[in-house]
Amino acid sequence: APVTLKFSHVVAENTPKGKMAQRFEKLVEERIGDKVQVEVYPNSQLYNDNKVLQAMQLGDVQMAAPALSKFSRYTDRLQVFDLPFLFENIDAVSCFQKSDKGRMLLDHMKDKGIIGLGYQHNGMKQLSASDPLRTPGDAAGKKFRIMSSDVLAAQFKAVDAAPVKKPFSEVFTLLQTEAIDGQENTWSNIYTQKFYEVQPYITESNHGYLGYMVVTSTSFWNSLDEESRKVIRESMNEALEYGNSLANELNQEAKQKVIDSGESEVIDLSDDQREQWVKAMKPVWNQFRSQIGGDLIDAAEACDG
Amino acid sequence: MSIIRLLNRLEEDIIALLLVVLTLLVFVETVMRFGFGATIDWAEEGSLTLAGWFVLFGASHGIKEGTHIGVDLFTRALPGRARRAVAVVAVVACLGYAGLFLYGSWVYLDKMWMLGLPMEDLPMPTWAAHSVMLIGFGLIALRLVILLVNIVRGRADGFPFANEADETMEHFEATHADEGGRS
Amino acid sequence: MTTAFLFILLFGAMLIGIPVALSLGLSSIVTILLFSNDSLASIALKFFSAASDHYTLLAIPFFILSSAFLSTGGVAERLIDFANNCVGHIKGGLAMASVLACMLFAAVSGSSPATVAAIGSLVIAGMAKAGYPEKFAAGAIANAGTLGILIPPSIVMLVYSAATQTSAAKMFMAGLIPGIMMGGILMLAIYIAARVMDLPRLPFPGFRTLFGSAARASGGLMLIVIVLGAIYGGVASPTEAAAVSAIYAFLVSALVYRDIGPLKATPWRHEGESNATAVARNAVQMLVAVPRSAWHPDMRETVLSAAKTSIMLLFIIANAMLFAHVLTTERIPHHIAEAIVSWGLPAWGFLIVVNILLLVAGNFMEPSAILLIMAPILFPIAMQLGIDPIHLGVIMVVNMEIGMITPPVGLNLFVTAGITNRSLGWAMSAALPWLGLMLIFLLLITYIPQISLFLPEILG
Ligand code: NA
Ligand code: NA
Repeated sequence: APVTLKFSHVVAENTPKGKMAQRFEKLVEERIGDKVQVEVYPNSQLYNDNKVLQAMQLGDVQMAAPALSKFSRYTDRLQVFDLPFLFENIDAVSCFQKSDKGRMLLDHMKDKGIIGLGYQHNGMKQLSASDPLRTPGDAAGKKFRIMSSDVLAAQFKAVDAAPVKKPFSEVFTLLQTEAIDGQENTWSNIYTQKFYEVQPYITESNHGYLGYMVVTSTSFWNSLDEESRKVIRESMNEALEYGNSLANELNQEAKQKVIDSGESEVIDLSDDQREQWVKAMKPVWNQFRSQIGGDLIDAAEACDG
Repeated sequence: MSIIRLLNRLEEDIIALLLVVLTLLVFVETVMRFGFGATIDWAEEGSLTLAGWFVLFGASHGIKEGTHIGVDLFTRALPGRARRAVAVVAVVACLGYAGLFLYGSWVYLDKMWMLGLPMEDLPMPTWAAHSVMLIGFGLIALRLVILLVNIVRGRADGFPFANEADETMEHFEATHADEGGRS
Repeated sequence: MTTAFLFILLFGAMLIGIPVALSLGLSSIVTILLFSNDSLASIALKFFSAASDHYTLLAIPFFILSSAFLSTGGVAERLIDFANNCVGHIKGGLAMASVLACMLFAAVSGSSPATVAAIGSLVIAGMAKAGYPEKFAAGAIANAGTLGILIPPSIVMLVYSAATQTSAAKMFMAGLIPGIMMGGILMLAIYIAARVMDLPRLPFPGFRTLFGSAARASGGLMLIVIVLGAIYGGVASPTEAAAVSAIYAFLVSALVYRDIGPLKATPWRHEGESNATAVARNAVQMLVAVPRSAWHPDMRETVLSAAKTSIMLLFIIANAMLFAHVLTTERIPHHIAEAIVSWGLPAWGFLIVVNILLLVAGNFMEPSAILLIMAPILFPIAMQLGIDPIHLGVIMVVNMEIGMITPPVGLNLFVTAGITNRSLGWAMSAALPWLGLMLIFLLLITYIPQISLFLPEILG
C-alpha cells in the first residue's frame, strides 16, 4: 500500500496556498501515485496553525504550511521575515529565499524535527485603519491587530501604536465595531476577508512580508526512499512556483477590486512619507539583530536592488 | 473520611477559582484595552490555556456529581442484577477511554518535554502548560475506579445522572428556598 | 464500514448508560485505534486543542456564570413583574407576560434550559393560581424558553460559529428578528387560546406602577444594553462581552439588588438615616463587599454551579469535536456531501433534508454535539448551493430549539417536569400542542431567509 502523506493547512481551497497544495497532490499522484498518496485537508479541518507543527512531530500530519511567524516557538531566526521594511518588494523576498541563507533557513530546524521544503508567498503587507495613515504619527495611540510575533509587536510599538493579538476569526468583528482601529495584511487577505468594507483607509505601505514555509517532519522524511524524496521535492518546487505566481496575480487583482469597490480610500505614500515610516520602524532591526543573526539581515538587504 | 471531604472541597474550590480567574482575565483585558488602550500580550494564550485547565480538571468532578448528561431509559428498565452488570461494562469501557487518553497524553507531554518547546506568549514550557491532560484524565480514571468499586459493592448501579435540567433546578431550589416571602 | 462502526459504538455506549460526552470520546478513540494510523498522542493533543483553542467558546462559561448570578440574584422576578405590568391586562395576559419575560431573560442569558428554569419556576405556579390550566402554562413556558438560544446571546450560536468559522456577532444579529417573531407568534397563539378558553386577565396597574417596575427591573434590562451595546458599539467581541456581562451580573446581584452575597438583607437606607450617612455607609460596605464575596457561601455556591454546568457543556463539546475530527479524517463529511450533491437537490430540497436530519438528531442528542457533528457535513454543501452561512446557522438553531421540547432528550422538558414536579410524559404532552407552531415557524425561517438576514445585512 502507498504511504499516506497528510497535508494539513488552514485556508480555503481556492487560495494560492490551497491551490498549491492541490497542484502538489496532483503532481505526486501522476509521478509516484503507487508509492505516495497525498491527502490535502484544507480549512483547519485537522489542526489549526498553532497545533499543526506539534501534530506533525507526533507523526499524524506529514506536511503543513504555517505562516512564518508560527515558528517562533522553534526558532528565532525566521523572525527575519517579520522585520519591517527589510524587503523592498516581493522579488526581493524571493531573491532572499532562494539565496544560500534562505535555503539554510529551510534546514535549520532539523534538530527540532522539522524540515522546510520551500516558501509560499502570501504577499507584501499593507496597513488599513479607521483613519488615514500617512505618517507614523497618524498611527500613534491606535490599536492594531497583529499575529502573535514579538517583531510585529515591536514594529507597532515603534510608532507608539498598541499591538493587539487576536485570532484571525475575530478580526472582522473587532474592526467593524472599531474595538480595534487597524490591521496589517496583504491585498488578497484584505479583499477576501472583506476588511476593506470596514476599514475606510488602506495605506499601500508594502512594509512587511507575509508568507508560509512548507514543512515536513524529519522522521517522515527519513522514512522515505531516495526516489520519493526527490520526486516530492521537485513536485513541491513546481507547485510552489505555481502558487507564488498565483499569489502575486491575486494580490494585483485584489488591490484593483478594492479600489473599484470604492469602499475604502487607497493611500499612496510619497517618498518623503515612506522615508518617515522606515525611519520610525527600522530601529526594530537592531532590537532583534542578535536574536535573528546579522548575517540574515545583511543577506536580505543585499537582495534590495 | 474527613480528608476525602477536604480534598473534594479543595477540588471544588480550584474549579470555582479557575472560572473566576478566567472571567477576570478576559474582563480586565477588555477594560484595559477599551479604557486605557493598553494590551496584555499573553492574555489570549493565557485565557485559552486556563479554559483547557478548567474543562479537564473539572470533568472528573462531574462524574462524581453526576452532572454529565446521559440517557438511562434503557438501563433503568433492566432488573437490578442485569443493571449492575451493564453498569460494570459501561464503567470499564470508560476506564479504557481514560486509559487510552492517559497514555496518549503521556507520549505527547514526553515529546514536548524532550523538545523543550516553550509556549508562544506565556513564559513556560508547553509540557507544563498542557500537563493538565495527564492530571485531568488521571482524575477521571480515579473517579471511575471509585464508581466501579461502588457498583461492585452494590452501593451504586450506574453513572449518577443528575441531568443539566435537575442541576439547574436544584440550584434554584437551594437559592430560593429561604426567600419565599419576598414580594 | 468505519462510519457504521463509529455510530454503532456511539449509540451502544449511550444505550448502556455512559454519559454522552464519554460516549462521543470513547467511540472516537476506539475507531481511531482500530481504523486509522493516527497516534494516541495526537488524539490527546487534538482533544486538548478542542478544549482550549476556541476563543469564541470561552463565552459559554461566561454567559452561564452571568445567568447563574441573574437567576439567583432576583433579576428574573423583577423582569416578570415588569412584563406583567406591560401586558398582564390583556386577555391571557399573564401567559403573554410570561412569554415576554422569557424573551427578556433570553436576551440576557445564552441558554434555553436556564431560561425555562429562571422564568418557569416563578410563573407556572402563579398562572395555575390565577386560573390557567397548569398544562397550558407549562407548555407555553417550555416553548418560550427555547428562545434562550435564538435571541442573542446564544451558546448554541457560539458553537455554530466556532464549528464553521462564521462571525458570532453576525449570528447574534441574525437571531434577533426571528426571536422576536417567535415570541410574537407564541403571544398571538396565547391570545387566541385565551379568547377560546376564556382565560383570566389582570387589571392594568397604572403607569406609575409600570414605570416603577421598569425601574426595579432596570438592573437586568441594562444587561441587554451592555451585552449588545458592547458587541455592536465597538467595545468588545462576543467573548469579551460575555465576560463583562458576568462581572456586571455579579455586581448587580450582590451590590445593587443584594439578594445574595455579603450584603444580603443590608438595606440601602436604615430608618431615620440621613442621606449623607447612607451614601457613605453604602460606599464603604460595597467596597468591602467585593473582596468579602470571595469567601461568601452564596457566591461560592453560584460560581460552582455555573462552573459545573459549563464544564459539562465544554466537556461534551471537546469530545464532540474529537468525534467530528474522526468524521473528518475518515472523510465522512466528504462522502456524505458527495452523495447529497449527487442527488442533485436544489437548495430548497437540500434544506428539507437538513431539517429532517436535524429534527431527528434533536430527539436524541444535545444541541452543541449535534451542531459540531452536523455543521461540518452540511456547511460545505450549503455553500455550494449558495445558501448563506448565517441563514443556515439560524435554521440549525431553530431546529435545536425544537429538539429541546421533543423526547427523549429534551432539556426544556426535563426542566419543565422538574419545576412542576410532574412526570416527563406530562411535560411532553404539555409541550406537544405548541410543537405545530414551532414547525410552522421553522418553515418560515427556512424558506424566507430575509427574516434572518435582514439585520446582519443592513448593519454590515
Ligand atoms: Na439568549
Ligand atoms: Na429532543
